[in-house]
Amino acid sequence: MVGKDCVAIACDLRLGLQALTVSNNFPKIFQYGDNVFLGLTGLATDLSTVSDLFRYKVNMYRLREERNIAPKTFANLVSSSLYEKRFGPYFVSPVVAGLDPKTSKPFICGFDSIGCIDFAADFIVSGTATDQLYGMCESLWEPNLAPEDLFETISQALMSAVDRDALSGWGAHVYIIEKDKVTKRLLKGRQD
Amino acid sequence: MPGFDFSNYNRNAALHARGVPLPKATSTGTTIVGCIFEGGVVIAADTRATSGPIVADKNCEKLHYISPNIWCAGAGTAADTEFTTALISSQLELHSLSTGRKPRVVTCMTMLKQHLFRYQGHIGAYLVVAGVDPTGTHLFTVHAHGSTDKLPYVTMGSGSLAAMSVFETQWKPQLTQEEAVALCSEAIQSGIFNDLGSGSNVDVAIITGEKTTLKRNYIKPNERVPKLKSYIFKRGTTAVLNEKIIRKEDLGNFVSVHELAVEETGDKMEVDA
Amino acid sequence: MDTLVARYSRPAYHENEAFSEEERQGLVDSVPSLSLKFAMPPVAHPSAWLRAATDDRSNPSCPIKIAHGTTTLAFRFQGGIIVATDSRATAGNWIASQTVKKVIEINSDLLGTMAGGAADCQYWLAWLGMQCRLHELRHKRRISVAAASKILANLVYQYKGMGLSMGTMCAGVTKEEGPALYYIDSDGTRLAGNLFCVGSGQTFAYGVLDAEYRYDLSVEEALELGSRSILAATHRDAYSGGFINLYHVKESGWEKHGFSDTNPIFWKTKLEKGEFSNVTSDLSERV
Repeated sequence: MVGKDCVAIACDLRLGLQALTVSNNFPKIFQYGDNVFLGLTGLATDLSTVSDLFRYKVNMYRLREERNIAPKTFANLVSSSLYEKRFGPYFVSPVVAGLDPKTSKPFICGFDSIGCIDFAADFIVSGTATDQLYGMCESLWEPNLAPEDLFETISQALMSAVDRDALSGWGAHVYIIEKDKVTKRLLKGRQD
Repeated sequence: MPGFDFSNYNRNAALHARGVPLPKATSTGTTIVGCIFEGGVVIAADTRATSGPIVADKNCEKLHYISPNIWCAGAGTAADTEFTTALISSQLELHSLSTGRKPRVVTCMTMLKQHLFRYQGHIGAYLVVAGVDPTGTHLFTVHAHGSTDKLPYVTMGSGSLAAMSVFETQWKPQLTQEEAVALCSEAIQSGIFNDLGSGSNVDVAIITGEKTTLKRNYIKPNERVPKLKSYIFKRGTTAVLNEKIIRKEDLGNFVSVHELAVEETGDKMEVDA
Repeated sequence: MDTLVARYSRPAYHENEAFSEEERQGLVDSVPSLSLKFAMPPVAHPSAWLRAATDDRSNPSCPIKIAHGTTTLAFRFQGGIIVATDSRATAGNWIASQTVKKVIEINSDLLGTMAGGAADCQYWLAWLGMQCRLHELRHKRRISVAAASKILANLVYQYKGMGLSMGTMCAGVTKEEGPALYYIDSDGTRLAGNLFCVGSGQTFAYGVLDAEYRYDLSVEEALELGSRSILAATHRDAYSGGFINLYHVKESGWEKHGFSDTNPIFWKTKLEKGEFSNVTSDLSERV
């Protein structure tokens, strides 16, 4: 979710096998630099494969280019990596959030499982509670939210959405990314 | 190795057989059109991307760059139109570099159809190719299975019927540029309002022998009214169990640099003088 | 079948005539059966057709989504019977409601629980209440739990294989039987027992219940155990959650012990008793 000079990215903490909740501490957000974050939803095995694959690719990028990857570059890396598997995709739908290292402009985008980028100026949602999240974000989000207000908005949107989805919830992680700091919070959510 | 990687294919087929639903791909739904006028060609598109019944992107770009004088409007699977046009754009650039000639629209169209035919329709890209080259003005459609058409006015996508009805009633030979732009945007709007898979804004690209003009969001007939009241929550609404702040200036605390005493043992590495 | 058809297709003028002796006997004896009055879809195999249209597990985009997913439990102990349920109704992954009443008060003495098709359970347990009242009027005494449960079991057996979906427990305390608990499902199974858990979260509830269960539990202990078992199930089972609905059945009738949100109960249980240590406030990365 985009705010004024800041972006936020949040995820729930459930890992489940159909109805069975296997773990309630399974974060789905990964950091790939000072200001680049990747959120992943979908099949858990692909979550770890894909997150590790990008860690490898980003490290290789950093070695070759001797600089950190920008969110936009990372988004294109994600896109082409997913499209390479067009006919045997990973079951993931990623979300990228970050601040441009030069201009500090907020950047967010989402992908389908075969790498089609969805650039957005407001918010991106993904996962089993997608429909609920769209509803919450469309009504709660507004432009130019300050970091503290953005935190409340994204948290309330996520919590309300997952409370109507049987397969999500069990707490949440929220990252507020600003130019000079990143704030990570653990939310208290319903445990049913 | 360039090209597609099928390594997950068998796994996914097995997963699907066990009842795991396959992930939904973003589709453009789409109304795209193209129309030739005296001295050039214009293509236009709506800006809605859908994922099943959900509007995934309200303002996406469906007009793709091929070369400065060739542009492409895409319908079908969004990722496929994006990557197919990017691939052909790249190959065409190399082709024109090696031949030392400006790229031609027929070349582009042939490369697209050969690529798509090879994949037997599995690459779901439905394209309108338009451009001006030294041989003249051209407008083509390319279907996912590899068939092509050459016509003075074309429509594609789920809103193609709505758009075609506009062309069939209003098109006439020897249109001027302004008339062609007006006709194309009229056709797109007909798709936006009458086809559920199309929506939001009108993008237009005008290609003439001299220059190409991309008019992003040429018409915005569906602007969202700003909210009259704010839903900002009072700070402290959300219950937080734990918090961690990492400041950029503190990053140094996480990485410590220690000077190591260099041991003077006989063999020193050769260093360039 | 023929007798049924004959009964309902009698010409109108017969109705005003005085009942013959035989007819009068028939009216007293036969339970006016509602069976076979349901309209059937005009297809070759109605139950297969219904299953195809409603089974969201094999076909996530099935046109009719029936509310499923539940944890219900009941157990016998020296002070009567404890009945406890969650309150979540799901249609696929969508949580349709968090405030469903899954304990059905058949009458002031008997309780039924709801698992499976919500409509099936509600309708047939209400119908069972009617039959129990008729029994009281005919025989001038309360129906036994055994008899009541058997009426339901016989009814669902008539519909076997036709698509009814219910897993229910009948609980009551009578002078003759003491605390009596029966499990009935739509396959026609009818079991008497000390302790049952039914629904998608049954295994989780059994886990807690079996560990702590004794017949000589005090009333407070029993209520706490019922509540704690449901709490465990709501935590681990995605399709259970919402509120804990708690009842205590005694010979004088049932007594309600609250319809309480799991969320505060969960955090209270965690903080005061140190249970659910899997839920942490730890922010460090997993390795």
